Amino acid sequence: MESISRISSLLETARDLTLEAARDASYVRKTSTRVLPQAQLKKLLDSRSERDVLEGLRRVITMSYRQPPSVTLPLFTSVIKNIASPSLPIKKLVYIYLLQHAEHEPDTALLSINTIQKSLTDSNPQLRALALRVMSGIRVPVISQIVSLGIKRGVGDMSPYVRRAAALAIPKCYGLDPSTEPQLQEYLSTLLGDKQYFVTGAAVAAFLEMCPERLDLIHPHYRSLIRKLVDMDEWGQLATLRLMMIYARKCFPRRTKKVKKSKFDTNDKATKTTKGFYDSDSDSSSPSDHEIEEIVLLDPDLELLLKACQPLLQSRNSAVIMAVARTYLYLGTPTYLSTAIGPLISLLRSASDIQHIALYHIVQVCLAHPELFVNYYTHFLVRSIDAPHIWRLKLELLTLIFPHAAPRLQSLILAELSHFSHSGSQDPGLVREAVRAIGRCAQSSVTSSKTSARCLHLLLAHIGSADSHLVAESLEVIRHLIQRNPEPHRTTVVRLAKHLDAATSPQARASIIWLVGEFAGLDAENNIAADVLRILAKGFADEAEAAKLQIVLLAAKVYVHYLNANPPAERTKPATTPSSTLLERLQEEGGFQDSSLDALVKQEESKPHPIEALYQYILHLTRYDTSYDLRDRARVYRALLATPSSTQLASLLLLAPKPVPQIPSPSETRKGYVLGSASLVVGEEGGMGGLRGYEELPSWVKEGEEPNPRLREDISAGGTSSSGASYDSGRVLTAGEQLDRAVGASRAQDLGTSPATKSLNGVGGASARDKTLDEWLAEEDEESEAEETESEEESEEESEEEETESEDEGESDRLKKNDSEDECGG
Amino acid sequence: MGTIEALYIFDEHNTLLLEHNYTGRPPPSSTLLPLYLSHPSPRPSLVYLPNTNPPTLLYSIIQDQLLFLSPCTTDTEPLQVLEFLHRVADALEDFLGSPLLASRVEGCYDVVAQLLSEMVDGGVVSCTEPNALRDVVEAPSFMKNLLGGVGLPSTTPSSLAPSNTTPFSLGSTRPSLPRPNSNPNTASPVPWRRANVRHTSNELYVDIVETLHVTLSPSDRPLAAISNGTIAFTAKVSGVPDLLLQLSCPGGINNAIALPVFHPCVRLNRWKERPGELSFVPPDGRFVLTGYEVDLLGDAALAAFTTSSKTPQPKLNIPATATILTSLGPSGSDFEVRLSLNPRFMGKSASPLPSATGSSFPRAPGLGRGTGFGSQGTTAAPSIEEIVVHVPLPGSVRNIVDLRASRGDATYMPVEKGIEWRINTREVSALMSSDRGGDLGAVATLRGTVVGADEDAELEGGPVEFPTSSPYEYEEDTSSSYQAPDVEKPSEKDGEQQNARKVKQNKVLMPSCAMVSFSVKGWLASGIRVESLMVDQKRSKGLGAGVTPYKGVKYLCVSRKGVESRC
Repeated sequence: MESISRISSLLETARDLTLEAARDASYVRKTSTRVLPQAQLKKLLDSRSERDVLEGLRRVITMSYRQPPSVTLPLFTSVIKNIASPSLPIKKLVYIYLLQHAEHEPDTALLSINTIQKSLTDSNPQLRALALRVMSGIRVPVISQIVSLGIKRGVGDMSPYVRRAAALAIPKCYGLDPSTEPQLQEYLSTLLGDKQYFVTGAAVAAFLEMCPERLDLIHPHYRSLIRKLVDMDEWGQLATLRLMMIYARKCFPRRTKKVKKSKFDTNDKATKTTKGFYDSDSDSSSPSDHEIEEIVLLDPDLELLLKACQPLLQSRNSAVIMAVARTYLYLGTPTYLSTAIGPLISLLRSASDIQHIALYHIVQVCLAHPELFVNYYTHFLVRSIDAPHIWRLKLELLTLIFPHAAPRLQSLILAELSHFSHSGSQDPGLVREAVRAIGRCAQSSVTSSKTSARCLHLLLAHIGSADSHLVAESLEVIRHLIQRNPEPHRTTVVRLAKHLDAATSPQARASIIWLVGEFAGLDAENNIAADVLRILAKGFADEAEAAKLQIVLLAAKVYVHYLNANPPAERTKPATTPSSTLLERLQEEGGFQDSSLDALVKQEESKPHPIEALYQYILHLTRYDTSYDLRDRARVYRALLATPSSTQLASLLLLAPKPVPQIPSPSETRKGYVLGSASLVVGEEGGMGGLRGYEELPSWVKEGEEPNPRLREDISAGGTSSSGASYDSGRVLTAGEQLDRAVGASRAQDLGTSPATKSLNGVGGASARDKTLDEWLAEEDEESEAEETESEEESEEESEEEETESEDEGESDRLKKNDSEDECGG
Repeated sequence: MGTIEALYIFDEHNTLLLEHNYTGRPPPSSTLLPLYLSHPSPRPSLVYLPNTNPPTLLYSIIQDQLLFLSPCTTDTEPLQVLEFLHRVADALEDFLGSPLLASRVEGCYDVVAQLLSEMVDGGVVSCTEPNALRDVVEAPSFMKNLLGGVGLPSTTPSSLAPSNTTPFSLGSTRPSLPRPNSNPNTASPVPWRRANVRHTSNELYVDIVETLHVTLSPSDRPLAAISNGTIAFTAKVSGVPDLLLQLSCPGGINNAIALPVFHPCVRLNRWKERPGELSFVPPDGRFVLTGYEVDLLGDAALAAFTTSSKTPQPKLNIPATATILTSLGPSGSDFEVRLSLNPRFMGKSASPLPSATGSSFPRAPGLGRGTGFGSQGTTAAPSIEEIVVHVPLPGSVRNIVDLRASRGDATYMPVEKGIEWRINTREVSALMSSDRGGDLGAVATLRGTVVGADEDAELEGGPVEFPTSSPYEYEEDTSSSYQAPDVEKPSEKDGEQQNARKVKQNKVLMPSCAMVSFSVKGWLASGIRVESLMVDQKRSKGLGAGVTPYKGVKYLCVSRKGVESRC
């Protein structure tokens, strides 16, 4: 969604004028903020009048923003003195100053701690929250215990504001002194169960900062967190979705089932909102593969998460939409993912900065599921106002969807690409990228030969252009295409050779010459290579180095072919007798069929064959060239072909079959990065393995190694029954410990729960709630020990059954809520 | 490590306005700014700086000429940081006034400091909702002076007073209203609306803005036509009003609006059940209610894109389009841009033209007439405001000579390599009235001649020339469209050939597209209309009995280089 200030700029016509005026005025503006001398400031700060103090503080804050801390630091004591002021505005400003400067004067800052601690018991919750925030924000490690105590008090506070401040203080306290972690985790587990979504969001953020690996703290709150997800503010949603991605991967094993598929599977139905063209495409392409399909079986708890995400797809926050898409991509099924595609596209109408990042992510999703994006092709058409980093990604998207598009769309995409590849485009980079994109379209495996031919035709049309970038790039791509499939392209090479006259760019010439050389061996009777060489030899001196290199190579290749076809027979015969194999080979090729060898040799000696002469001529020319590289290469060829009879090594070197070039989509290199990370955007530049702090996606937990699903269930029921605010911290401590033990037990024993337990708890959903946490846990331990022989599938089934039941409960719960809301709405 | 490590704001001359450090030790602004500026423009929103210590990710946005930078030394979610920067800009604008000016920030550093420290706590974004911020930070005093008449309460009562009732999230998926017995002096019932709003004049304004993005192919067929809409809402109503906004569209709202996103206040269920109905409790002040997009072409677009002209072109109602003709004149160095205006947008209410989108606005009872339209540009007779045509030119163009426009002023901008052709509102209306009811509507033209960088060299038969007679010929089985057809022609046609060659060379210098910018008041490309805006008296609270707020609706259709014609 556009931000309100951007919309205002459209609505307010006078805005531009104001901005211009401001810019003009700002040349004079510099003097407007005058700085008072220190003494005068001190006087203001020490004044009795609240008004003066406030004015003094304002000036100090202004100075601290504009000048290095050394300027405002001398005022430290004068400012801190005011911390005890009863006035809230003064306090706020002092706090801000304190946060900025405490590090430089840790000892003096400690003096203020007492007063701040007093504020923690103030009647005004705003002040309490502020005090907690400031106390934890002062980076003086000695006070970590005091901060920890302050957090403890804050956790039990009435006001959600204070509890939230407490949650956010937890990672700060941990940063001051990591040894406080055990206490902090206690507080955190209390806060995670808070009733206020307002608080839980912050608690989850704190959890991710401090101890993201302690997933056992999450189990009891999993379902309540997911239920609160919709209500949290955007930043809480982001933190929760981030947490859930790790949690789900580590706690829900991926189960798949092979199912025989009917004509239309659920997946197709979901994506087919409008009768799309790619439907028929995908159906016709591979009906046999789809016969048997793997269907992902979702854990009911995981499904709960995926369903809770659904409304977030209409969030105004682009990061939230992206986080949901990420959740669906890595945790959900294609059906879920297809619902996130539209919202992803909707990010493209945001401000250009967000659009840029969103495009990277869309490309990432598109690499995995290109068919889902075909319907949104209009959003990927390049506009001429797009910046290079935008159109580069758009072009990539067009090529990615190309294989899945209907013929009509394919021709539209090609027309689009050829428009941008035409000369006249402003940016040579765009021309280059567009031509490469055509090449990618042509080489895609799904592309029919007809379309491929059309791509080639488009590219060939560019060769005559006066734009050297275009020609060079087109040839590069044509070369790749021809190499991939040389047989049908023999005439293309001839056509290219003709264009050698028109092509001016050295790179283009080099490309053509290389191709001619590559094809010199084919169809020996009617080959143009030697002829091309003859013409090129005439203008050799005027060529650029890149072209010269290729001409020498061409000469060598032509010569080798010539030698292979007409081996100089007897003159070298004595020399080659030791290597009988070579001789045999030559004979096999029918090199000795001519009976009148003597005459031929004589003729040759007197007047060398034109090809040989050409070759020698080129070598002579290169010998006096200015380029080292060229001279060296010529020397190599000369040495290789020194004895005309032994061409084996030379053929090996010069005529080796070339590997088929692959042009992968540019973003393939970043394919491994997790959606939503900055490493994905930065790509290779960030170094291997992503940027600092980049976290790989955890792999799915193995079947049987996951924590017991019941950890999530019953304890959460127990947790919700007591309100967050009135939580007795002592009891929570034991609960946390019990939980740890339970998790350890379940892991060690690979816990299979018995039907007896199930029925007991299943029936007694309410009764379990009545029991204390400790009793229940003890019971579970006992029973699990008793029943270990149960087969796994059975227990799985059981647990699934049970969870669906509880989910139904949740469902009805939600329905009730909806009803109540409708009541309000009605 | 938190996500937001620091925030740096620079003014339009890239001098530092403020530097606010949240957590960690990111590189200071003085080292980051030169590195950022050394990146070639246009600069991407995320720049990776591997040479700083530690290596830094630098996020940036530009809002109202102010540059917002935020460095991160660890991997973060890019969109999260960028969204946050936008929220900072929004909050600052909300508190300091619009537009956001460097001098305003400088004037109220104390307020800015409070805002910034409220929004992020220890690197974690904590609160960005402008209304919630209003509860804890007092707006600068000059604002109070300015808005004294608007009815801002002189002291914003804190919503943080201790209360045992938990007003937030009473277990509902969407905010439900507080029970009627809740004490009016306690916390705000909805997180995005501040507590105890009081206004002397109760006003509600709906502004629907649509931004056009149209791409026309050389044959004038639309390739893509998307209209991005945003509904900006201004609520200045006392108490906690519960509003219902009904939208309608000629083709059905469901077919028109695609991919909507909503402010958290909108009840999603209601929208899903009855599309077009937005039920919400608005925040106080100005906010964006909804964003959506409309595909003006519809599904048939692709079918129309064929070489055969049998299929009818999808009809598009674009106020102004440009067509561009290139390679004119003997040496092919001239070009012409034709700007044609749609006669519908004459701005005369007497215009009898029937309109497909229903220009007569069915006015719901109680809905005030849109204010702020001025004398011209009403829903009944929308008119085009100032039109600007941009023609970007290739980099090899050295100059443009002979630039003649039949209307308005055209200038060549050598730095940006482009032509800007401005026709102001008065001239637009003059142009419109000169049109005598033809099919084409009013047309204005612009002609110019390009001069290439190596013009002189070409005249002497420059180095790019190649021998016209090919030394070797091969039989070819495929059609050779690129081959010079006149290789064997005698040299008497030399002049013609030279021209042909020149045309070919000048082709590289031709512009490839023209982009039209304009704004139309009182008309939306999608045809979406506000049917009604109702205050639900039963569910609203604190809005005094019998008070009917003043309501205003405004439509605006904008194209910012959005209508692009290729050639």
